[in-house]
Order: sequence, then structure tokens, then C-alpha cells
Amino acid sequence: MNLFLQGGEVATEDAAPTRADVWIVDGIIKAVGVMDAPEGARVVDCAGKIVMPAMFDAHVHFREPGQEHKETILDGTEAAINGGITGVVMMPNTAPAIDSATVVNRVLEIGRKCRIPVLTSGCITVDRKGKEMAPIAGMKKAGVLMLTDDGDAVPNAALLKRSMEYALEFEMFFASHCEDPQLAGPRALNEGPASYRLGIQGTPALAEEICMDRDIRIAHATGMHLHIQHVSSAIGMETIRWWKSRGAKITAEVAPHHLMFRDEDIGDYDTHYKMNPPLRTAEDNAALLQGLKEGVFDLIATDHAPHTEFEKSQAFVDAPNGLSGLDTALVSLHDRFICNGDFGWDLIVKRYSAEPRRMMRLGVAEVAEGKPVDLIVFDPKKETTFTKEFMKSKSSNTPFLNKTLKGSIEMVVLGDKILLER
Amino acid sequence: MARKDFLDIVSLDREEIIHLLDQAVPFKELFTRSVKKVPALKGKTVLMLFYEPSTRTLSSFEVAAKRLSADVTIFDVPHSSVTKGESVRDTIDTLQAMRADYIVVRHQLAGQPAAIARQTGASVINAGDGAHAHPTQGLLDAFTFREVCPEMAGKKVVIMGDILHSRVARSTSTILDKLGVEVAFCGPGSLVPQTRFKRFTNYEEAMKWGPDAVYLLRVQKERMDQPFFPSDREYHNVYGITEERLRRIAGEGIYVMHPGPINRGVELCDGVLDYERCLISQQVENGIAARMSVLYDLKPQVS
Repeated sequence: MNLFLQGGEVATEDAAPTRADVWIVDGIIKAVGVMDAPEGARVVDCAGKIVMPAMFDAHVHFREPGQEHKETILDGTEAAINGGITGVVMMPNTAPAIDSATVVNRVLEIGRKCRIPVLTSGCITVDRKGKEMAPIAGMKKAGVLMLTDDGDAVPNAALLKRSMEYALEFEMFFASHCEDPQLAGPRALNEGPASYRLGIQGTPALAEEICMDRDIRIAHATGMHLHIQHVSSAIGMETIRWWKSRGAKITAEVAPHHLMFRDEDIGDYDTHYKMNPPLRTAEDNAALLQGLKEGVFDLIATDHAPHTEFEKSQAFVDAPNGLSGLDTALVSLHDRFICNGDFGWDLIVKRYSAEPRRMMRLGVAEVAEGKPVDLIVFDPKKETTFTKEFMKSKSSNTPFLNKTLKGSIEMVVLGDKILLER
Repeated sequence: MARKDFLDIVSLDREEIIHLLDQAVPFKELFTRSVKKVPALKGKTVLMLFYEPSTRTLSSFEVAAKRLSADVTIFDVPHSSVTKGESVRDTIDTLQAMRADYIVVRHQLAGQPAAIARQTGASVINAGDGAHAHPTQGLLDAFTFREVCPEMAGKKVVIMGDILHSRVARSTSTILDKLGVEVAFCGPGSLVPQTRFKRFTNYEEAMKWGPDAVYLLRVQKERMDQPFFPSDREYHNVYGITEERLRRIAGEGIYVMHPGPINRGVELCDGVLDYERCLISQQVENGIAARMSVLYDLKPQVS
């Protein structure tokens, strides 16, 4: 491979993009700067485009094993590539759950056949039931760093505390889906005017906030690093800010949909807007965006949750939670926020590429001389229409279905392979 | 009006509501004649699809449809393939083949009638979906209140009881509000959510507000998986119409309404049923006229 990306703007995590050419030879970035096209290199015109490190998504639900009709690991990774993402962390709520070295090995073996690296988290408790501790050391040996019962919280605080105390020895970290199950109730939508209007019992934000506070306190007491998943409310954001200011060892993520949508978007029972934690209010959207800009959130993650058209066509209460997000995340962040001037590419690189890789203790992808190639080319002037055919996820449960957004991922290059070129 | 479906009150404008109310008047007059039928829906099929047990609403729709000369089929949900795990979507596909012109749906899940309406060309009438809407109840309530207070604007109605779980509260408050009636909610704090309407958690304060009618709701035990108040007895004492409170209501000439079925000794005492300004049986009779008006008005899109 001998590739010359000419005339693009190179984005980094700490400064605005600068004009530079990028010369790639055999999976290594040979040179970055303004230069003449090297002889023999294939020249790709990147004028007006952004050349940036590829994204990394630390929160995805691939449905293998058990629910391959929604998504396989292969489908999921292809959706990721389609969205400019070259690494993912799977959540363990598969069937069977990823709660033992055996299942971890099986999942990672399938992952190795995919075109991008697949990592997986492992359960805290056996089958995510919240009763017995899962074989934590065994999963560590198989390659797990992140422990979570994502989809649910660990209801028993004492068990959570003991699990953290135990896992410290194995240098792992915990990730919390924060939700008090009694307060949450049937988990369909946010409690407020929208839930009253639609006549469906709502889940109050405090169901999330109380559990978040509980989990952080337990982690803080034990010394465990805790990662808070998909924060959806203003008070949740403030909770993390407060604990960070006290020096607690916590990180946190925000999902694109919680920045963009609100409960009223459900309109007339549109299940594309049904997720858990639920979409909350315009005030929460604004607070979460503020938290992202101010660094309260370490990373952006999609909570990619594919479901079939039939499953999502059921009545609102019956339809499953979640949206398919890998194909759409980066373009939607560009369309909604970068175009609007809310933040720049440096934030995207930091929060959606560098920080998630750091959390997973991986080398950070950089467009810099001598680094391995892990980059994308993004055209801000082109548009993308998210048709079913365009999306590589097996499921197309997204509010962006058939919508046209500003921005297009033109190229994804990992190592010595071009994974995508439009 | 070329509306296909009748799914909620929210999407109706004031003119449509008044049209439906006005149209119900001659239907009600029909009931006093020896022949109570008109041939308006002759040759049309009305299918009753009730996923939740119901006696009064089902019968009311049945009588309404028959007085319009429609053929009525009751789809017996508990004995159907639904209990064998068939999805609502697949059931509707099956029912499509029966070429019903109107489908009257009651379902325990909010939004299900709307989902069915999107799937079929038949006119879908929502006969109650979860805690979301019960629009024909709203219509009959407005009709009944208009009979006793013809100038509705500026009148006051307090809806009392379990607002949180009540589709009747939602539809009836919305229709009264659209007709210019001032609406307030009253009930235990755990059962009255914050809405744009005035909110009382104290019975006496609600009555001091000066309502022209008190609309009682049934305490819906079946929708409560957790306790919202200590006991029926305490509810009756704090929020129910007791004998003593009935005397004050009678003294002030306040009307009493209730969607039924009633729980004696919970939201009301026996005496309320004999109170001259109790409109409960009038509501039942008006329900037939209101539902005839709705059926008569809808335009199915079936070939």
C-alpha cells in the first residue's frame, strides 16, 4: 500500500484541524505535512475533507450469541466501519450472557474474523442475575477489562461492593448501567408531561441518579475505577462533575441520542425513540451537551442496540429499548453539533477516538508520522441518507431512517487495508 | 369531516367536537321512539376487538352500531389465537380478510389502536387504550355536561380520584378544556400528576374552588401493582363522597358524574345514586348516542 491523502485537514484531539497531506506506506504513516505527492503513490484528493483518527465505540450491543436475527458480530462490525469506527467493546447481555471465559473466548474468536478489533466486557454477576459473582479472574485471563451487568444495575449493593473489592487484584474496572429497578418501573419513557400525555408509566430521572450516586460511592470506598454508562439527565451530569471534583476515580460516557432527542420526540408512540435510559427533556439535552464540552463526559458511546422492524412495530410498551447507532453516530454528531458550531473536531477526536481507547488501555489512534494507520476521511460538504440499504447494521431502528444528514464518511483505513471507500 | 379513525380527543378541534355533539342530539331523540333504528350503516360491518374485559363499553358500542343497522361481530379475544401467542399485527392481517368497515378496539397497551389504525383501511375507534385515551367516553361526558350546562364556557369541573392511571381523566379533561370548561384534578398526591390543569390534593380545597360538577373516577386496583394509598376506607374518608359531603354537594346543587363501574363505599356512598343531580345513568344512555355519532361520521377507506 502506498497512499497519499492530499490536501485534507488533519484533526487531532487538542487543536483545530490543520491543512496537511498524509502519506501512508504499508500500514504506517510515513509523513504528515505539506509536501509533493510521492512518486508511485495513489493520490486521493482530500481537499476540503477532514483526515482524522478513526472512532472507537466503548458501548455496543451485538446480539451474538443468541439473537443473531437482530445483529451478528460481523454485521455490527460492518456497521461500525460504515460509521468510521475501527474498534468496539461489546456489552455482555447476550444469550447466554458473556459471563465466563468460555463465552468470552467464543465471542472473541468470532470477533477475530471481523475486519476491526472486537473487545468484550464481561458480566459482574452470573447471567446478569445479580445473585452470584461471575468468574472474574477467568474472564480477565480471556481478555476482559470491563465488568458490567449492562442492561441492568446490580441490585444488591453489598454484592457490588464485594465484587469491586475482589476485582481490584485483577486490575479490571467496572461500568455501571445506573437504574433503581423499583423506581424505574416498566422502563418505557421518561416520567413527565410526555408520559402523562401518552398514558404510559414513566421512569423518573431519579431512578438513574440514585443508583449512579450509590455506585460511585461504593467504587470510591473500594478504590475501584468506575465508568458510568449512558448518562441521560442534568442531575446525573452534575453528580459526575461533583464526584470528579472530589477526585473520585470515575469516567463517564454520553450517547449521541441523549444529546439530540427528547421525550416529546416520541410523538404518536414512535418506538424509534424508545430507549433505556429514556430520552428526557430539552433541559437535559442542553446540560449533557454542556457536560460534554466541559469534559464531565470522558467519552461518547452509542449504546448501539439493534432490534428488528417487527420488534419495533409492536405497541410502545412492548417494543424493545434501544436504537441502532453505529452507522449514524459520527455523521449525526457532525450534522447536529459541528455544523452548528457547538464544538469542533478536536472534541470528536478526543471523546470518540482517543479517550475510549485510553480507557480500554489501547494505543491511541493518531494521524502522525510513524504511527500505525487507523484513520478516516470525512467530507463535511457531502450528505448521507440513512436508508436501510445504506446501513450495514442488520437492523435499521433509528430515528434517522431515511433522513439525510450533512457529512459523509468517505474512507476508512486500518493498517494496510482500506476498509471503506465511497 | 373525512376522518378515518377516532383515536383520541387531542387531535380533534373544537368545531369537530361540537359537530359530533350536535349530531348526537337527534340520535338520542330516536331512543324514545318505538323503532329505534336508522338505516345509516346498513350493509356495513362493525368488528369489536376487545383485548380487555368490558361490559358497558362493549354493549354500548354494540347497541350504537345496531341502531345504525350495521352488522356487528364480536371478536372473542380470550378464546382466540391471541392466547396462543399471535401478535396483534398478525391478528389484524387475519381480520383484514373479513373486510370489516369499522374496528372498535380496546387494548391494555397505550397506543395499540393507533398502531392498528395505521395497518388497516377500516375505521378504527379507540374504546380505551391503557391509561392513554377513551375518546368516546370523553364525548359522552361532554354531551352529558352540555345537557345540564348548555353554556359550557366558564363552567368548572373537578375530576376526582386516580388521575394517573385514568384514560377517562385524560380524554374527559381534554374535551371539556377544548369546550371552554375549567378543569381541575383532585386526588391523593401519589395519583395526581403535575399537568397544566389546577391540581388539588385536598377535597375541601377542591370544593371551595366552586365546581359545577364533580367527576368521580373509579379507583383502578387492577392498574396498580404497588400501593398508592393505604386503604379503601381511608380513601373514602379523605377523597370519597361520604353522606356528609353529599349533603353539602346537594346544598350547592353540584352535579355528580362517574364513568362506571362504581365502587360503593370507596369513591362514593350509596346515597349518591339516589341524588337528583347524579348524572350516571344519563351518561350511560348518552354513550349510545355519542357512539352512534362517531360511527356515523367516520369514513372507512376499504374497497
